[in-house]
Amino acid sequence: MKRFNVHGLKTAVLLAVGGLLGFIAASEFKSLWTDEPIFPSPGLTRQTRLSAYFPGLANTPGDTDVFIFDSGGPGANVLITGGTHPNEPAGFVSAVVVVETISVRSGKVVVVPRANASGFTANDPQEANPTRFKIRTASGVRTFRLGSRLTNPVHQWPDPTLYQNPAGQMLAASEVRNLNRCYPGREKGYLTERVAFGIMELIRREKIDLGVDLHESAPEYPVINALVFHDASAEVAALAQIALQDEGLDLRLEASPQNLRGLSHREWGDAAGIKAILVETPNPVQGRLKGRTTDSLVVDGRDKDYLKAARLGRLFVPYGENGIPISERVARHLAAVQAILAAYAELEPDKAVDFVGFPDWKRVRAEGVGAFLR
Amino acid sequence: MMEIIYRLIVLYLAIHIAVYLLRQRKFWNQLGAVVVLLLFVLRLLLIK
Repeated sequence: MKRFNVHGLKTAVLLAVGGLLGFIAASEFKSLWTDEPIFPSPGLTRQTRLSAYFPGLANTPGDTDVFIFDSGGPGANVLITGGTHPNEPAGFVSAVVVVETISVRSGKVVVVPRANASGFTANDPQEANPTRFKIRTASGVRTFRLGSRLTNPVHQWPDPTLYQNPAGQMLAASEVRNLNRCYPGREKGYLTERVAFGIMELIRREKIDLGVDLHESAPEYPVINALVFHDASAEVAALAQIALQDEGLDLRLEASPQNLRGLSHREWGDAAGIKAILVETPNPVQGRLKGRTTDSLVVDGRDKDYLKAARLGRLFVPYGENGIPISERVARHLAAVQAILAAYAELEPDKAVDFVGFPDWKRVRAEGVGAFLR
Repeated sequence: MMEIIYRLIVLYLAIHIAVYLLRQRKFWNQLGAVVVLLLFVLRLLLIK
């Protein structure tokens, strides 16, 4: 009897401790399911959800915020997407900065900061990445999630053995959860394909002329600090690159390969007929040569292993003692967006977008991105 | 449908681990069972 009681008590204590640990772990995981707040500028004319364009996304983890700045007057209709890959934080933060700062005097700007909303609810497995990073602003510290490149497998599972995307390309299984391989989407497909379909519907219904998709890539990956352009956007990209070089920013040009299908810079152009450009900046938390991944690496971008790799000539971007902080990367994104829009207006003068409050990239670099967040 | 099958499989395994936990007398075996059970319960609730 006594032995049973000791055993029962021991089991109960173990279960209680396990339950407590489970509760803590579940709370931490579930906290990632809540979107961080975004505080739009007074210039916002309409805020909606992607499900307004494709009701098939309503009440799903793929639904996401859409911010519209519409002058009501002539000019281009522009789409800016961040968070296609939630493990590429500068793209997401740049889109948030745009939402929180701009007004539009001509044309229309539609911003989707968390294009793959599901990807923000988990981070990449086996990477030991932090789940969040902090940026100091004038009103306090803002916390943002560092998500996964892919849709959360809890929301879309199982992956097929091989994945044939909507554009017909055969890909590795996990790419079925990569939004930037799922264009132009499928109305009744996997969740990620439905998100892609929703974005295509947004492009169609908002009569978008030009789309800019904000990304990052690892410093040891060759397509970096780049404007990746669809064939029909070559002139826009080339003019933008010249303007950026004039300002001292070196972004290389990369033509979107015609046989690489399912990506925004390919399918937005082919399937929707718009000008499509993808911007890449170097992301020190993404590659293989980095050291320990911490939230300060996300923000400060300093890593001694990358510094060593740079000295050995293993990186495709300049990398010095100061690393590549997120303010520098956001500044590059913002400079690229402005240069692309200016180039488009130069080629098609009736398609100008006139901004008020668009952050000057040199100030973002000098003052830090936090100065441009509310 | 796939989600229901997945959850049923996880539930089945979780029950087995719980029974193992109750039958075991050795502390370290029980602790191991609790740790595994914890992960299975999180999976069962689709918390990730």
